[in-house]
Amino acid sequence: MVTLKVNGETKEIDASPEMPLLWALRDRLNLTGTKFGCGHAMCGACTVHVDGEAVRSCSIMVGEVAGKSITTIEGVSGKVADAVIDAWQKLDVVQCGYCQSGQIMSAVTLLSSNKTPTDRDIDLGMEGNICRCGTYVRIRKAIHEAAKALA
Amino acid sequence: MAQADAGAESLAAWAKIQTVLQHPRCLNCHQAESPLQGDLRRTHIPHVVRGPEGHGVSAMKCSGCHNEMGNNPTSRTPGAPHWALAPISMLWQGLSGGALCRSLKDPAKNGKRSLEDIVTHMGSDKLVLWGWNPGAGRAAVPLAHNEFMKELRVWTAGGAACPQ
Repeated sequence: MVTLKVNGETKEIDASPEMPLLWALRDRLNLTGTKFGCGHAMCGACTVHVDGEAVRSCSIMVGEVAGKSITTIEGVSGKVADAVIDAWQKLDVVQCGYCQSGQIMSAVTLLSSNKTPTDRDIDLGMEGNICRCGTYVRIRKAIHEAAKALA
Repeated sequence: MAQADAGAESLAAWAKIQTVLQHPRCLNCHQAESPLQGDLRRTHIPHVVRGPEGHGVSAMKCSGCHNEMGNNPTSRTPGAPHWALAPISMLWQGLSGGALCRSLKDPAKNGKRSLEDIVTHMGSDKLVLWGWNPGAGRAAVPLAHNEFMKELRVWTAGGAACPQ
């Protein structure tokens, strides 16, 4: 058994410690807002937070995060998350939307540690989140917009 | 004469040690700004940068993908404790065998380690040991770990000789 703390709730799952966290979130806990993209930590669609840090849940194993605080797109909250989601809606960032939960989770981590990111800070911090629709310009703009709202 | 023999043995041992330290499993993260990936030693995908502590930046930290508990057999992402770029003082990229040898035994460039400390580090550090267990799809370093340790002891016992 592995004990996971997800969105503030403690969950016990019968799984090998080597199971990718994404499998546990989607298939065992029915938290399907976090997406499967590549399965190799190359695309960022599966990004969630562990103790506030962005991680790729297809790559991080459940044994690695047992007892730590896991937050998914369903549970992300607070000032920074609100500002990011508001900016996303205001600038109509989303096109197909598949990568967006991962993009938002990474943007929240970025803005939590850097209140005034430059374009380069955004590009380096968001590098691991691929958008197949190519909405990168709007994503970058929305992160600047959220930073402004938080200032 | 015995001293000269020990020196020659030390130098011969270094030639074998060097093949391990210059292997992609070691050298790929002894880089200045961004790690390399794979046996072909291409740029790490996705692009990651050192950051202030050698662990990446904001939403792109090493521990965001690499597990301390080990390689992930499903995603095939490699992992070991304290996964990170080597400190700036330990940049090995582009060094000749002689320069790497001198760098390895220089306390200013090896984390203030004595020769004995280096042997201990190579024998027990879990990130170093990962080079012998890199996971599917990656070649392990070229010398068995017990052979490598034997050569390290010969190298240090003979005065840690370095080629020119």
